[in-house]
Amino acid sequence: MYQENEDDCKFAACTYFAKNHPGEMCGSNGLPLTPSSITILGRAQRLLTIEHPNLCTYLDVIRGKHERIIVVAEVIGKSLKECKSKFSYEEVTNIAKQVAVGLQFLQDQDIVHRTLSDDNILIDSNGRVKLFNYGLYYMTDKGNEVSFPLGLPRYLSPETILNGGGPAADVWSFGIIILELCIGKLWNNLKPGPILRRILTLVHANNPAERIAREHDCFEQYKQVPEKLRQVIEKCLKIYPSERATFTEIVEDLSQIDTKQLVEVKTPRGLMGCKLQYLYHWWQLAGGDIQAELKKNSLVKNSPPILSMPIAILLDGCTIGGKSGALFDRRLAKYSLDLLKSRLSHVPPHDFYPLMHERKKEYDAVALPKIIRERDTEYQFYRLLWFQRLLQGYPYTAPYIRAEAEIDIPPLVRGDVWAALLGVVGDIEEQYERIDKETPTPTDRQIDVDIPRCHQYCWLLCGSAGHRTLKRLLKAWLLTNPQYVYWQGLDSLTAPFLYLNFCNEARAFACLSAFVPKFLHKFFLKDNSAVIKEYLAKFWQMTAFHEPELATHLHEINFVPELFAIPWFLTMFSHVFPLHKIVHLWDALLVEGPALPLFMGVGILRQLRDTLLSSGFNECILLFSDLPEIDIGECVKESIEMCRSSPRSISYRRFTNEAQTKDPMDIVEIPMEVLFTEISPRINLSDFFSLICQDKCCVIDIRSNLLSATT
Amino acid sequence: MTAENSENTTKTFNYSFPTCTSEEVQFKLEVPVEIPHAGSTRELVQRVISMFHIPVYLEEDLNEKLAKFVAEETKNFHNERDKKLLNQLKNSEINVEGIVKGWEKLFKDNVMEFAEQKGTSDEEVFAAAYHKLVHSPALETILQVENSYAKTVMNTLNNRDEDIKKLTQKQTEEMEEKVRLLNTSTTEEEINELAAQQFEQQALVAGRWGSQLDALRQTQRAQHRAWLMNTLEEYQSTSALNTPSNSPLGTFSPEAGGAAAPAAASERLEESFTIHLGSQLKQTHNIRIVAMDLLDLCSVDHVDNPSESSRRLGTALSLYGSELAGAVLLTEAPPRRPAPPTTLLLRAAERSTEHHFADADHQLRTISEKVQEPVERRNTQRLQQAESAAGSGNGSRFKSKRNLQTGDIFITKHSNLAEVHVVFHLIVDDSSLRSGDITSRHPAILGLRNILKAACSNDITSISIPLLLRHEMSEEMTAAWCVRRAELVLKCVKGFMLEAAGWGGAELRTLHFALPPRAAPATFAALAALTPNIFRVSNPVKFRTWC
Repeated sequence: MYQENEDDCKFAACTYFAKNHPGEMCGSNGLPLTPSSITILGRAQRLLTIEHPNLCTYLDVIRGKHERIIVVAEVIGKSLKECKSKFSYEEVTNIAKQVAVGLQFLQDQDIVHRTLSDDNILIDSNGRVKLFNYGLYYMTDKGNEVSFPLGLPRYLSPETILNGGGPAADVWSFGIIILELCIGKLWNNLKPGPILRRILTLVHANNPAERIAREHDCFEQYKQVPEKLRQVIEKCLKIYPSERATFTEIVEDLSQIDTKQLVEVKTPRGLMGCKLQYLYHWWQLAGGDIQAELKKNSLVKNSPPILSMPIAILLDGCTIGGKSGALFDRRLAKYSLDLLKSRLSHVPPHDFYPLMHERKKEYDAVALPKIIRERDTEYQFYRLLWFQRLLQGYPYTAPYIRAEAEIDIPPLVRGDVWAALLGVVGDIEEQYERIDKETPTPTDRQIDVDIPRCHQYCWLLCGSAGHRTLKRLLKAWLLTNPQYVYWQGLDSLTAPFLYLNFCNEARAFACLSAFVPKFLHKFFLKDNSAVIKEYLAKFWQMTAFHEPELATHLHEINFVPELFAIPWFLTMFSHVFPLHKIVHLWDALLVEGPALPLFMGVGILRQLRDTLLSSGFNECILLFSDLPEIDIGECVKESIEMCRSSPRSISYRRFTNEAQTKDPMDIVEIPMEVLFTEISPRINLSDFFSLICQDKCCVIDIRSNLLSATT
Repeated sequence: MTAENSENTTKTFNYSFPTCTSEEVQFKLEVPVEIPHAGSTRELVQRVISMFHIPVYLEEDLNEKLAKFVAEETKNFHNERDKKLLNQLKNSEINVEGIVKGWEKLFKDNVMEFAEQKGTSDEEVFAAAYHKLVHSPALETILQVENSYAKTVMNTLNNRDEDIKKLTQKQTEEMEEKVRLLNTSTTEEEINELAAQQFEQQALVAGRWGSQLDALRQTQRAQHRAWLMNTLEEYQSTSALNTPSNSPLGTFSPEAGGAAAPAAASERLEESFTIHLGSQLKQTHNIRIVAMDLLDLCSVDHVDNPSESSRRLGTALSLYGSELAGAVLLTEAPPRRPAPPTTLLLRAAERSTEHHFADADHQLRTISEKVQEPVERRNTQRLQQAESAAGSGNGSRFKSKRNLQTGDIFITKHSNLAEVHVVFHLIVDDSSLRSGDITSRHPAILGLRNILKAACSNDITSISIPLLLRHEMSEEMTAAWCVRRAELVLKCVKGFMLEAAGWGGAELRTLHFALPPRAAPATFAALAALTPNIFRVSNPVKFRTWC
């Protein structure tokens, strides 16, 4: 029973406030300063991707109201602080080794821990050790984005106290931790001031570790520590960072003296064997509420806002009176998975391991709209496991992935699935690395102007991390596509890929590189007028084909697609819709192929039909200047229907990336001038015959008698 | 934490590789690298290779060497800096005390573990109690009690006014009599003496009433609090509610029956819109244009009138919630010497006891004390800037060094007003607002931005703003003037609201734009027509039935 209990809390959250920018909020570029919480959110994304056996995986970083940041991460067992019993030297050595391995990994990633302390080193009943919330210093940009000091006084290295400190400061903190494990809590019951003073006086000591032990009347005890372990401690607690051992050396030393074999724990099966990220996702879908638990533990306190109203604000934005900064509370709120367990308790064990060639179950939920399916715990449970299987087999499973994506794509793996749909394979990291994204180019100015206006409601894209990455992606794409130029809208087109692959620039780039030739072939030519004209003409013909009444009306009032539809197609709608709608639109796009956007345009017009039919030219212009809400689910559904029910040849375009057809039966190409004058699309012979054979069309010969007589 | 942003250094990375013809002569490559290096070294290698046409077979070697170089130099960089610091410490060249004090303060002020334990303040306890009770069946009772208290205050106020009126009348008669007899039986000195006497009498009466009112308010407040806390306790233990016994503090009236509601300002001109903001992701807001006196939002009629009590009900329910209502008042006077409309607000607030916050005039006094120091500092700074900019002293623009200036705001909070909790007093320069052409950089507009920002970060979700930045109509405010001004204000507010979306605070759900009550219907119509042009009005949702 005890075991289970420990298992119950799989993750925990801690929360703090980001710093408020005082006074006027304008940066040097004249744009408002990015709120600190946004910067933190952007920086923290990288942490979400780090996985290591000795590090607690970060699961989520949430930006709350009023600059609150909530960090959710894995937890195990309990912290060293909570462990009351003393560890044997064997155990200490083992703990030290695991901590050092974790820290070494972090150092290789260029992440400084800085806040190492006994309450963020977790150990479970099997003796496994993980570091919790090791990225606080990293995500807050060395503490610059928060107002509270990082770390606990007794673990600060002397140079850190003097406002210096590099990666070697972690070695010091590590040394103190080990020393504490050997001789007990240091500087217990002392206030921060005296502790810091004591640490600073250590600079005069030859052997700080011994000095500390003496100070605590533990010298005898210290001498009893096995010599090799003592050597490690002393190597860490050198005053000058250059003399301290590195984690690589420490790990090596400790491995030699570490004798303890960790019990091999069988990886749990069933629900607990699933990826932690999935568990967290399902738990949220099942109604798990991060904020509620924080509130219950009074980590989120809501003092009535009226009590903390400021009394005056000066013109320059300086606020007098009002809220005083909330205190940083180091405590955690832990979450149990009971909710999810009971929700999925009826799932039979073999459902956790779906077989690829098995006939799949039908779920009732499939009939529901996509947005609802995305919030259904059980449905997402099955879908995610299934997709995980398929993605593990990519690229060999590409056709299966496509078939499944046609139904829907679980939001959690959308980035992976899109990459699969776009056929991204190979060593994309290395390819991306080879592109020079730094050297200034003439288009930089335009890019710099556009990026701060691109999907800025999205917290990821509006931070400096988002801006920097988007710029790199755009530059990389322009450099690898010298035949193309930067057209405004390319930024919006890139945004969804960046949004889904925020920490995987290379994949975002690979997706973009695969997307453009498929859907926007030649759109980014310096002179793209012919391409766009053809596209719009085709779009107009499709409108006439599926919405004749509307098309006639728009023709009459002379409201042509050039007036509104260029950004639709140039950015594949990514400039006109918010990201949460674009992803659904593109889900369909990537599956159905390049003909679909034309029908999506028609689908949008269809939703506005009633308004458009009753509007004149001016009203139409106004309507499209700021597009009203569109039901994307409906639009996607109808456009797919239209696309599939239309003969393939009527949406034929000259400027595509597809292979040219040679068969005269399939050719529909007509001179561009003719195309622009025709209201209805042409059909090729094979489509025509197949329609005739299926008895699906009615043919009217409108040639004059005279003409038919001559031929 | 002020991790001083240590300046980065640039180190030169040297690399050499053999030429094809000679063993001795080597190609030498020197690349300056910034330490600590922010980007990836592998990317840098690629750039170097392509820029200097370095043979690709050196790629691996270069990758390895550069990575090692950067790692080494970064380590050295940190170690050198820290060594310097530690040496300074060893040689006592560093102000250790200062640094330790700094850390001490940081820990004490910001981290829970080290902070002084402070319990919940009385204010918060009372707030929690009140909030709980108004969201319980006790609500109606509370409102009744408050209303009865308010009526007592009103009665006293009426009595006072009556008394003073009588006194004034008597005095006037007396004076007239004296003046009539001037030069016959009275002298000028006698009249002066009488005037002084009368003045004294007036002051005496006013003082007496004042202290009586103060006493009444204080007792009411104390009793109200005590009663509320008791009620809460009882409610929690027995969930029974009791009304306070009839006391001289409250005036309970029998159920107000068909007392015809006084002709309320229901015939005011108003129009509401639901708008969308934002280009891709749209936020929804409500905008209401209304011709009314902003003070109407404040003053309560404490008669038993259902519409009035429903206004009060809403205010009471949300008082300690996170959906507050605010209003912007324009004033020329600093909080120390209030003038209309601040005085009118004070009068509205004084009509009933403030049970939750300090009295309004007390708040004003506190504000003027507390702002003095920062304002003085700011004003001196401005003065210096202006002087250095203008060369010769041209600083007479700032009348007083200690006063709040145009564009500054002071804020009062109230629990006893009709529809607002928070009042922003925006200090303006009336003469410049009278003139037609102000720009978006005008202090009043910038002040408006600060107000919206404060609203956003203090959970005020509904705010009333004078659309024309004037409370009264005056002759220069022609229809064209009004349209121009309204356009400016609406456009600026639109910009601020778009900006506010990124501030991460409360959403400004409803904005009321108030026109002076005497605005002509034609002007109102013109301004109301302006809104859909500036904001995108949301389309009505249409339900379609599929047959």
